[in-house]
Amino acid sequence: MKNLKKRTAPILKVKNLEKYYGNKNNLTKALAGISFEVQTGEYVGVMGASGSGKTTLLNCISTIDNATSGHIFINGKNVTNLDQQELTKFRREQLGFVFQDFNLLDTLTAYENIALALAILKKPVEEIDEKVHKVAKLLGIGKILDRFPYQISGGQKQRVASARAIVTEPSLVLADEPTGALDSKSAQTLLLSFQQLVRDHNATILMVTHDAFSASYCNRILFIRDGKLFNQLVRGRDNRKQFFDKIIDVISLLGGSSNDLT
Amino acid sequence: MTSLSLSFKNVRKSFRDFTVYFVTLMLGVSIFYIFNSIDSQQSIMEITSSQGAALASLNRLMANFSILISIILVFLIIYANRYLIKRRKKEFGVYLILGMSRRRVSQILVLETAFVGLIALVAGSAFGILLSQGMAALTAKLLGAGIVNFQFIFSVSALKKTLLYFGLTFILTMIFNIIMVRRQKLLNLIYASRQNEGFKPPRLALSALIFLLSIGCLAVSYSAILNSGLLSVALIWTSVISGVVGTFLFFFSLSGFFLKLIQRMKKLYFKNMNMFVLRQINSKINTNYISITFVCLMLFISICTLSSGMGLAKAVTDDISRNTPYDATLSIGAQYNCNTNSYNSYPAAGVDLLAEAKKHNVNLDSFAKSYVAVRYYNGEASSLDIKNGAGIDLNNELYYVKLSDYNKVMELQGLAPITLAENSYAVDSTTAYDKWIVMAKDKIIETTLTVGGRKLSASPERISSHSLEVAGNYTLDLLIIVPDELLANAPAKRDLLHIKYLENKALSEDLAVKNLSKITVEGIAERLETKKLVVEDSGSTTTTISYLAVYLGVIFLIASGTVLAIAQLSEANDNVRRYKLLHKIGTDERQINRAVFLQNLIYFGVPLTLALAHSIIGVIVAAQAINSFRGMNILDSSLITALIIVSIYGGYFLITYLGSKNVIIREYSRQEKEG
Repeated sequence: MKNLKKRTAPILKVKNLEKYYGNKNNLTKALAGISFEVQTGEYVGVMGASGSGKTTLLNCISTIDNATSGHIFINGKNVTNLDQQELTKFRREQLGFVFQDFNLLDTLTAYENIALALAILKKPVEEIDEKVHKVAKLLGIGKILDRFPYQISGGQKQRVASARAIVTEPSLVLADEPTGALDSKSAQTLLLSFQQLVRDHNATILMVTHDAFSASYCNRILFIRDGKLFNQLVRGRDNRKQFFDKIIDVISLLGGSSNDLT
Repeated sequence: MTSLSLSFKNVRKSFRDFTVYFVTLMLGVSIFYIFNSIDSQQSIMEITSSQGAALASLNRLMANFSILISIILVFLIIYANRYLIKRRKKEFGVYLILGMSRRRVSQILVLETAFVGLIALVAGSAFGILLSQGMAALTAKLLGAGIVNFQFIFSVSALKKTLLYFGLTFILTMIFNIIMVRRQKLLNLIYASRQNEGFKPPRLALSALIFLLSIGCLAVSYSAILNSGLLSVALIWTSVISGVVGTFLFFFSLSGFFLKLIQRMKKLYFKNMNMFVLRQINSKINTNYISITFVCLMLFISICTLSSGMGLAKAVTDDISRNTPYDATLSIGAQYNCNTNSYNSYPAAGVDLLAEAKKHNVNLDSFAKSYVAVRYYNGEASSLDIKNGAGIDLNNELYYVKLSDYNKVMELQGLAPITLAENSYAVDSTTAYDKWIVMAKDKIIETTLTVGGRKLSASPERISSHSLEVAGNYTLDLLIIVPDELLANAPAKRDLLHIKYLENKALSEDLAVKNLSKITVEGIAERLETKKLVVEDSGSTTTTISYLAVYLGVIFLIASGTVLAIAQLSEANDNVRRYKLLHKIGTDERQINRAVFLQNLIYFGVPLTLALAHSIIGVIVAAQAINSFRGMNILDSSLITALIIVSIYGGYFLITYLGSKNVIIREYSRQEKEG
């Protein structure tokens, strides 16, 4: 309840977003007018079958793809009409990314991978060092900071990637199937860390996943079908198990197969 | 889809990746053609028989060196090709997994090699034929031959040779490719891109130690060669071996050492993209230090060949005017016999060349405007203990000459006669020997000579250096000029007849050569040197040296540029993933461009820097060796060398930088399009 005040302004506002691919004769509507809001300190999951448009949505929000029409406001700023240079600046200052395949730089140590995000922001050395250690401790990777990515496990890699995403204190963390390449134990550790970041550090996470188990850690789930918002689930007072069951129900309604169950 | 169309598509699709490979092949082919087609260039020139012979021997020399060059090119092509194949392992793996036979995959590869080779051969030959037109004009200028008619020059034999040599090279490459594909396991092909090189650099203390060791090796190498010059074979080998080992260790430890060093300077390390760039380079130099060592050594050879070759050529050109004070010199004298290490006998009274001319019915006035006969005497040979800079004992080339004879020579040259103070002697060197005479001056001043029973001391103001005869080569002669009467009983050693022609030089030359060759003295060899012959001879020497230097130097430059460019470009594709990520997390394009530039700059710059250090030492040693015979102007040749390096090596750098940048930018736009 302590974050009540901050929740009054949405950190992310998507309004009537449309994205078309192809030409006149062969038009694909990846996003067909989607609207929703995310408040500060929310942990939102985006679910949908393959081809439903969830990755396109994430790419539009992360500003590496531009929408055909509609608007995206992040922290009050309309990112749909920024130029390339402003977008780059916006990305490094306001957004944090976690990818399915970690995307760590294999030539850099874990420490350097995290520090790089701050170095790009031209932060002073002392601040870099302090922040890297703080975030590493938070995610339980303090002991592996000197190692190279090939020397650590997948779960550790993803926590390093998450550390890199949040070390700059972005307004919004975008996670694209972050547990996709992890075993269930590592996935659980990571999801718990995300929960902790949201609960204790007021981070805002938007996570795309097709996995009901991962989604059950969120506060709210957006279901997408054919480029439209199909349904949404709010966790409320449910425990994780109850929330998980509700998610499964919606998935079967959506026509998802049992493969999506973990 | 047939193998043919598939391979054709592949070549077209990956043309960007092939660019450097293609450019190198094309340059190789055209350079090979140009330097093998030199003899055909005479079709546009008006040349004498001696110039024709020079061209023919130049062509033979180039043919011999072409064998060496083609070996280098074979290695280069196979090396470059190996990289291209390595990059496409996954593609081949997909072919195989789809059920294509290995035979068929090899077939595709063979066809691809044939395509690229064919295009390179055609384009390279065309380019070579085009360039050889300009080259012919240069050859004519260097040889001092006139151009009679500008016509299209085309050498069938050179083209045949080019086609044969490169055809063989491509066949070799094909065989190599087939072996490479056959030997690979499918598993490795499929997972080729995932293989990670987990190389951990040695600890700081160790890399610092190795770095110091390499510096030590280089110091040993430099000092050995600087102290010994080119005189001690043992020391030369010491220098070469410790130089190679030092270079190798230098690159082995360099990046690790500097990485660790800069890591300690946290402000610098964590500034902008520095950390990323340093790590990139480190990961590469660690895996590529062997090829970088080769690049450095090839650059060193290239720089040394170019600068000292052209320096030498320039020195030869500069010599011409100094070696030809008149139009001709006929000389006769005791010949040095290498086998017995002594002089053949020469009549003590000498040979009166003017009398001989009369005896043989030679009318000197028919071609000479003026002439002077001079006699050199054999003095007490070892009395003047002077050595030249290279340590060669000069006593064998020490002559005495009468003051009156010397003054006749001065008069012929239009110079003032000299006088000798009581009991003194003068010294003059025969040819452009001024550098040495300065070095020997102090020694001469201290020396007292006894000539004809009289003690003489040197007069310091009478130590000079003049060209005293027409000579093709440098002679190390030293003249001691003494009063006439002291040489009354001295034995003669050489007789010379210096001639200045009449107005019609060409006619005089013909007459002189025809008539003077009639003068023969039983049992003693005579020598006729004319200005014309010396100029032609020097022209062909200059051409030979500079062409050889450019041929070798440029090939080595291309080789080093290619090795770096191919390695960098093929890695740029691996780097795309890294840069894409940097772009995603908000690194702006300027920062990325800067990182790519810095990375390429260091990668090209570091071997060049060490090669330059090596070359400075190398050129100093070469200059010392050449300088002991003649003055060499290093500055001019260094400038030309620098120009060649900047244009070729710099060109490869530019291609690589722009290529890497384009690969990365291409990936962004693809990413943005695909979403």
